[in-house]
Amino acid sequence: MSKLPRQLDSRIEIVTPENIAFAYVLAGPFRRLPAFLIDFAIRAAVLFLLAMGCLVLSVASLSGIGLGVFLVVWFVLSWFYGGLFETFWNGQTPGKRLLGLRVLSIDGQPINALQAVLRNVLRDVDALPLALSVVPLYMLALATMTANNRFQRLGDLASGTIVVVEKRSKLRGLVMMNRPEVVAFAQTLPVGFVASRAMSHALSTYVARRELFSAPRRFEIARNLAEPLCLRWGLPIDTNPDLLLSALYYRTFIADRPGHEPTLRAPVAVPVEVASP
Amino acid sequence: MKVALLLERRREQWHELESLCRLMERRGPRPLGGAKVSRFASLYRGACADLALADAYQLPLDTVEYLHQLVGRAHNQLYRSQTFRWRQWGRTMFVELPRKLVRDRALWLAFAIFWGIFALSLYLAYTSREYADKAIGQAAMESYRENFSRPIRGRPGGMDSAMTGFYVQHNAGIGLRCFAGGLLFGIGGLFTVVFNAMQLGATFGYMLTLEERVNFLQFVTAHGPFELTAIVFSAGAGMRLGFSLVTTGGLSRAASLRQAAIEASPMMGAAVILFCLAAMIEGFISPSALPYAVKAGVAVLSTVILAFYVIGLGLLRRD
Repeated sequence: MSKLPRQLDSRIEIVTPENIAFAYVLAGPFRRLPAFLIDFAIRAAVLFLLAMGCLVLSVASLSGIGLGVFLVVWFVLSWFYGGLFETFWNGQTPGKRLLGLRVLSIDGQPINALQAVLRNVLRDVDALPLALSVVPLYMLALATMTANNRFQRLGDLASGTIVVVEKRSKLRGLVMMNRPEVVAFAQTLPVGFVASRAMSHALSTYVARRELFSAPRRFEIARNLAEPLCLRWGLPIDTNPDLLLSALYYRTFIADRPGHEPTLRAPVAVPVEVASP
Repeated sequence: MKVALLLERRREQWHELESLCRLMERRGPRPLGGAKVSRFASLYRGACADLALADAYQLPLDTVEYLHQLVGRAHNQLYRSQTFRWRQWGRTMFVELPRKLVRDRALWLAFAIFWGIFALSLYLAYTSREYADKAIGQAAMESYRENFSRPIRGRPGGMDSAMTGFYVQHNAGIGLRCFAGGLLFGIGGLFTVVFNAMQLGATFGYMLTLEERVNFLQFVTAHGPFELTAIVFSAGAGMRLGFSLVTTGGLSRAASLRQAAIEASPMMGAAVILFCLAAMIEGFISPSALPYAVKAGVAVLSTVILAFYVIGLGLLRRD
């Protein structure tokens, strides 16, 4: 974690029982609003279909039972929809699942049934004030979210929960930097060069993006780092800065220096066969 | 070892962990079987170790970002939400909650406010038509009089279950709103409970002055105890939330609120159960043509149940 620059907002660090700290991105009000709208649409659709069913029942002169069921389902959906889904779907409602959000306890553990139900019952206060006494404006929730540093609404504060983004990104890996002129140039660099942490950051960030820039722009960006290095190592002043950084990247991330390979124990344990009960 | 080699070695394990995560997200951990779950756990530990050593390995930034997400994703599958634990909830509802009720000062306050205002409003409406006018309004008064002008002989077929649904939806909704409103420093819950006590009291007082009071009492007797107790419970639970923001007992306000919410929730759960029971009685028994003795018997029985719950399970029980 110390590798990443410390950001002011929307990241929280969670320490797992394995004593690893990993970071989550908190979901702010405008990520959560679309999920809420999806859930709202689902509830409305279910109630609409149920109302249609009740109409059919009323033809069969069972309108009383149909109406009763409709009202009870309406009650359950309006108060416990979120609570039940978040309990049984591990902190997600359909809307949250579609948009990659999840509810967690403030210590990063999953929520329990009590927290899930509570935060959704207390939504009633968060929804205040009501426009035309029916349309929830969620101004109280918005005000509360801006007043604390975890984007918690009142229901979240009372039940001790946060909403985080579960982003899915692909592993991109390294840029294969094996053009002959780069490899050749890398051999001319000082043998003792070891990239510092900041340097390896800069190199990986630069090389991951250099394809996006035109040659003059690359020159312009790379010069800032390349010129001091040329001075220090006594390289010719007209060295191509892009070539220099690419070669350094090659040296740091790809090519081994002979005789300096640390042996790493594979951290993955061999799976044990578990006897079925 | 250079990063390239390291990434090559780890890539497969990370991808395997990712695909196991995807499986568990879709279908839960059960269908995977023991061997796969144990494999998942060791892959997770491996990814954790890689993340911890990201600095030492000099991994590129986007790989670190990927690892953060991978570990977070796997963490959420490994430590899953706990669903309802029925045994524990049974203990909470039948052992712990009744003992707390008697000592809960927020509940006593809600009790005093509700019944105090109810009695006052009843007396005022009984003695002064003008007060009843202002409290419940001419139109409502007329409709009450109209509703109870005929003897109670049951509703037309099937409407009983419709009305039960309505009472669940409407009354339990008010109770939950009263609880949630308590969060506004107790004011929201206080408003709901005062308003309802005033309305109910005025309605009772007004109806008692009329000829139709016989029919009215026929209707309200049976479900009264459960419903009125449920209102007091939800107001008490709401006030508990509100007061925790004022008197924090040395905690931060957020921590005090969290603690109060955990304490108040079982009481609100009991209130919802009572609302549902009351709705069933109000739907099926209260409007039926059963003799008054039966309805009074239901009221007495429900009072005895409540008394047993609060006094028998709460005050007198010793472990």
